[in-house]
Amino acid sequence: MSQLDDLKNAIKSRLGELECVIGWEQGYDPLHATPLFIRTEADLDRLIIGPLAVHNLATYLPGFKGKKIGVVVKGCDSKSVIQLLNENLINRDDVVVFGLCCDGVVSQRKIRAALPADPGFVESVEVGAQDLKISVAGQSATLKLSDVLADKCLICATPDAIISDVLIGAAHTPAPAASLACQDEFEAKSDAEKLAFWQETMSRCIRCYACRNACPMCVCRDHCIATSRDPLWISQDNSPAENMMFQMVHVSHLAGRCTECGECERACPVDIPLMLLRRFMNKQVKDVFELQAGTALEQTPPLLTFKVEEERINERGW
Amino acid sequence: MERFITKENLIRLAEELTATCRVLAPVASCGTVTFRRFLPGMVLDMHSRMAAVSPKAATFPQTETLLTVKREIPEKKPEITETLPEGKNVVIGCRPCGARGKLIFNPVYETDKTKDPYYIQRRDNTVFISLACDRPETTCFCHSVGSGPADPQGSDVLLTLVGEGYVARSVTPAGEEVMKSALFADAGDKGKEADAKNVRARELMGEAHDYASAPAKLLARFDDMDFWQAQSAKCISCGACTYMCPTCYCFNITDDDLGLESRRIRSWDNCMSHTFTLEGSGHNPRPTKAHRLKNRVGHKFSYYPDLHKGVIACCGCGRCIKQCPAGVDIRQIVNAAQEYSE
Amino acid sequence: MPAQDVRELRIVGFLCNWCSYGGADTAGVSRFTQPTDLRVIRVPCSGRIDPLFIVRSLMNGADGVLVSGCHPRDCHYAEGNFYARRRLEMLKRFLPITGIDARRFEYTWVSASEGQRWQHVVTEFTRRIHELGPAPTFNPASEADWNTLAVQAGQGQTCPCHG
Repeated sequence: MSQLDDLKNAIKSRLGELECVIGWEQGYDPLHATPLFIRTEADLDRLIIGPLAVHNLATYLPGFKGKKIGVVVKGCDSKSVIQLLNENLINRDDVVVFGLCCDGVVSQRKIRAALPADPGFVESVEVGAQDLKISVAGQSATLKLSDVLADKCLICATPDAIISDVLIGAAHTPAPAASLACQDEFEAKSDAEKLAFWQETMSRCIRCYACRNACPMCVCRDHCIATSRDPLWISQDNSPAENMMFQMVHVSHLAGRCTECGECERACPVDIPLMLLRRFMNKQVKDVFELQAGTALEQTPPLLTFKVEEERINERGW
Repeated sequence: MERFITKENLIRLAEELTATCRVLAPVASCGTVTFRRFLPGMVLDMHSRMAAVSPKAATFPQTETLLTVKREIPEKKPEITETLPEGKNVVIGCRPCGARGKLIFNPVYETDKTKDPYYIQRRDNTVFISLACDRPETTCFCHSVGSGPADPQGSDVLLTLVGEGYVARSVTPAGEEVMKSALFADAGDKGKEADAKNVRARELMGEAHDYASAPAKLLARFDDMDFWQAQSAKCISCGACTYMCPTCYCFNITDDDLGLESRRIRSWDNCMSHTFTLEGSGHNPRPTKAHRLKNRVGHKFSYYPDLHKGVIACCGCGRCIKQCPAGVDIRQIVNAAQEYSE
Repeated sequence: MPAQDVRELRIVGFLCNWCSYGGADTAGVSRFTQPTDLRVIRVPCSGRIDPLFIVRSLMNGADGVLVSGCHPRDCHYAEGNFYARRRLEMLKRFLPITGIDARRFEYTWVSASEGQRWQHVVTEFTRRIHELGPAPTFNPASEADWNTLAVQAGQGQTCPCHG
């Protein structure tokens, strides 16, 4: 029995008591999956898992507060579930977590770079254990999964869901890289270089808020201060300064809460490398508070509390 | 008029035009292709794929200043300066679907009763040099909304890639003017190859979907919130679809005050956002994403066609589908309404 | 002591009402002179300060931002500055990734009786900001700057920054 069959059986046995179970199904073309809201057994037939199932489904959970639902999560997604629980944004009794032991998901950007023609022209995809056989614009290509895995998978320490009612799949012994080359290289740049980078990158930003809405921790959604008129934090003007201001708002509000699921960067329609900012903020949180969001239950987000003596904060002796 | 221009000469044309116009072209930078202000030295990327953002910013920028207000001292009358757009623009390398956005804007922005001077000024001073598509992406459906991979409507010049250059065909007098440049050569019999390519591209798209019943069928679902809740379940209510769309035309007007100066700006608005219909009292007639998705799909495939002689307010470019973080597919939604049975 | 430079730079100060504002008052009453670049905004407590106040000031063109509150364990409202300490420390550590020089933001603790300390803090911070010079604007200063940046970026699809 495959991992998918095990998952389907597990869901089938609980479906009756739940409003729905959130999973994935085949999307608009062979290279894309899309979230699936399973309410009937017919819906369950369409469920898929695998390297194309990139979406963090935990982002839908706060919207279902008060109802009993199920959700399928990979390792990274389960951290978001834990963080949502830690912040009382969802009730543990109302969520049935179907945890997966994940082999990694793809980065559509890396696939695009590796294919001989744009993935928009994809004709067929065969997902193997180690590779993807893709036919695109009349040409064939076999891509090794290890070459097109998302960056977050390369440094993932929790591939198997760390919270679950049912855990499905073969357990992994994670061997993550210590850090990402792109992150280290960026941090090593000078202030002027970094500023120039963000000035230019933020000129591409169209302030669609896909990053904000894809984030499982951003629950203010409709009441976000970025779009409030009173008080007015950010002008409607699409200048780089205003666009960067939004990122500052987002990252500040995520300090100590971001689980590095990478949905923000994936959702961005103009490929802005948002994770550079968030990974850096998380490094600071880890350094100062020795905490990583979403890794343990009963953890209060560090900026929601304090200690009288802070071991790792210099008291700014002037 | 039919001429031929090599790839190198097209870049040279773009560079030459920067001297007298703002040139917007698909530029590859940092992993993506977007329409940017083209400057000599940039890498033009017309062929790897359709640009992520539409070229609508040429005629309808994301932010534009409508007027500025200056006050010397509070007692004196403030000085108000209207800032109308100036200069000429050229868009090079958009696809026919991108240029078609104009057709949806025109009946709204230029009517007998009201004429939007900002939009009209830009539209009348922008030349669209579009590139016909060789093959459709999995998200393309221009053929189903009255357009096609080589649709000239909305463009001033239509290019078709043949060998190492483009067969160029003028669509409007403005297009002909541009094609008078010495960088264009005689097309010879390349025109036939261009025709064959255009026909092949349309063939590759397969059968068009018939949206004729969509307006009535969508209206029939208007009160069916269960239908819209199911359709919008995976939507995250961001705004990527609206901002990427070549035909979305809603805007917001806000004032930016800084001390004694003020700027009135118009910016793109987004009907998928909660604040779109939020009223001063706090009441919101479209409080949930189900309501908002119903409005967006309904507007494009039902209300707009009913008001404007059956024209669907969609150019079939598919950006909303491929840029959607959750993969919401507008074709599926309209289809579901069309096929709905109790 | 006059400002180092004839030209005054724009330095914004967020001072808590009870300790730091009192401390600044004490400095004034005692006639301690200090550079006049700093413009004070009084808040009830350093815990009232949203780190975004500092960010917004910097993005709006402030050359420097100084925050000052009661010493930890001495907050007029008991706990406000404990929260402030955490938030402001995170902001200070975050700024480098954005390209904004983190030395342009400083937070400190000055009590109501520490007039001399206030003079020292303001003088030091103002000197530091003058050394750093006017802050670069986040929106490129001129069309030419803008064009240079744009051409540099529009060089093709390779981007090592992410996947």
